[in-house]
Amino acid sequence: MELFLNFLASGLVIGSIYGLIAIGFAVIFKTTGVLNFAQGEVMMLVAYVSWSLATELDLPLVLLIPLVVVAAAAIGALLERIFIRPMLGEPVFAIIMVTIGLAVTLRSVIVLIWGADAAAFDVPLKGGLIEIGPVVLFTEQLFAIVLFLVVALAIFLFFRFTRIGTAMRATAQDETTALLMGVDVKRISMLAWAIAAVVSGLAGIAFAMMISRAPDMWFLGLRAFPATILGGLDAPLGSGLGGLLIGVIGDLSEGYIGQGLKEISGFVVIIVILMVRPYGLFGQRELERV
Amino acid sequence: MRTGHYVESYEKQLALTTNPVTWAWTGALLLGLALFPLLVGNYLLSVAITVGIAAIGAIGLNLLTGITGLISLGQAGFLAAGCYTTALLVADYGWPPELALLAAGFVSALLSLVIGVPSLRLKGLYLAITTLAFSFIITHFLLYAEALTHGPYGVRVENLRFLGLDLTQLDQLFWLVLAVLVLTVLAALNLLRTRVGRAFTAIRDHDVAARVMGISLTRYKLAAFMVSSFVVGIAGGLMAFQFRFINVDLFNLLISIEALAMIIVGGLGSVAGSILGAVFIVLLPEAVRALTDLLPAALTEMLSTYVYEVRGLLTGLAIIVMLRIEPHGLIGLWRDAKRYWTHWPLSV
Repeated sequence: MELFLNFLASGLVIGSIYGLIAIGFAVIFKTTGVLNFAQGEVMMLVAYVSWSLATELDLPLVLLIPLVVVAAAAIGALLERIFIRPMLGEPVFAIIMVTIGLAVTLRSVIVLIWGADAAAFDVPLKGGLIEIGPVVLFTEQLFAIVLFLVVALAIFLFFRFTRIGTAMRATAQDETTALLMGVDVKRISMLAWAIAAVVSGLAGIAFAMMISRAPDMWFLGLRAFPATILGGLDAPLGSGLGGLLIGVIGDLSEGYIGQGLKEISGFVVIIVILMVRPYGLFGQRELERV
Repeated sequence: MRTGHYVESYEKQLALTTNPVTWAWTGALLLGLALFPLLVGNYLLSVAITVGIAAIGAIGLNLLTGITGLISLGQAGFLAAGCYTTALLVADYGWPPELALLAAGFVSALLSLVIGVPSLRLKGLYLAITTLAFSFIITHFLLYAEALTHGPYGVRVENLRFLGLDLTQLDQLFWLVLAVLVLTVLAALNLLRTRVGRAFTAIRDHDVAARVMGISLTRYKLAAFMVSSFVVGIAGGLMAFQFRFINVDLFNLLISIEALAMIIVGGLGSVAGSILGAVFIVLLPEAVRALTDLLPAALTEMLSTYVYEVRGLLTGLAIIVMLRIEPHGLIGLWRDAKRYWTHWPLSV
């Protein structure tokens, strides 16, 4: 039982990371209909930039986070402006391929700038171990879970209650009508990229603080695919929850079934989900069907 | 420009080309390629072999993605399946390489059914993700099913004699790859002008309309999957001959993305485009390497330290730039150039 709870806890920790990235996927997909294959790379870029900020400026976490949010939003908006905006009106296939190209490009550029070595992300958050009943967590791990909860709540409130959030939902539902209602649809796409970069960038920082900032971080983006497929590509909160589930499934199957399943269980889940319920647990049922 | 060019019979309509000049050029090209190993050194020859295998793989992927419109990010998985099939059958079970190469195609095609059936309901994006997941599952299986695949230790293939060719010699391997490539091109070109090929195109252009015209989506999508992965599997088998020592690391995500880059850069839905794309994507890092001598020393050093990153960067940029400026790919540029030339001075 104690072992189970510990697997569960570590699953929830990594699941929070997946969940945050998956929210990033879903925000972009919901508003623009594009699956951003470069989400993991955007996350990695934000993590690297914040690592540089943290080591150069030596800020406490409370000041670092707002700075990172601004930087991430700028990165997301800039990438959208340079790479995605010119493709507006092209078939979705082309735009998705551009994000794939962007993914490989970013990955390489990051290594070319920062080098291929991993580095510890030292932020004054060293509270040591925290015991919750039989479960023992590092402060950084708890930070990841808390971050996930805060961001998920913020995303929910943003889409539900703010003017821009409502405009984004309107665009997702019917772009032309939203345009007629005075919504600046172009800006919405940029905003979606900015929000996604912020959300997944925070995941990147949380992960880098737990392990290190390393050139293979982009792989987290692929691991988060199953989360967003499970939760529903057009459901940000559902995707977040999907992330938690995928994290827990991964750790439990690794712990109880066999070695190496942590990496692969998510992809098995994808295939099962796509066979049974392609629109995900929380997604809208209007999937394009043959 | 040819004028007075009329097709008067079905035989002529079905012929690959009715133009004797085209045949002459093709013959000259083939002759030149066959003599290629006599003219160049081992390094260029091994690059040429890589190009050839990549071109076969790209044609396979183009049949699925460019012609039938089913996006696949699982190229690495099918290549791995083919490569391991050939390598294991030759190394552990003592099959003759000829049969092992064919088996690579069949195993890969069978595997594609496993992925094809669940993806019948899926389109575009979802299919891309399923194929991606599939390729991870394959490489995971290859890494962990140690009893069957030697897992992390990889497979070594020795004593390769293929129809009298000694495949450990680069020139003889080149001839084999060239022969397979020619066969693949012929098969693909002919397939595209049959009922099956036209059904593929119809599915890509409008699946509902295709269905209304009596094309069974199930049958033809699965057929597209199988044909495509058969060809890709053969390419994988050839990789086993080329590397002779293989492990899972050969089949990473970048391979799948490079394959997509090849058909996008070359031209979606075009056989000649696949070949052009393969040449372009394989030669791009080589060209950069050749140019590094002209660059400042610091940059040269960086490029040699980060070969893999440079490759990724070039692939990514090739995809982005090509989609932005010429969605029809290199073959589109070639057609435009040809049209410009023939219509000059009236061309626009």
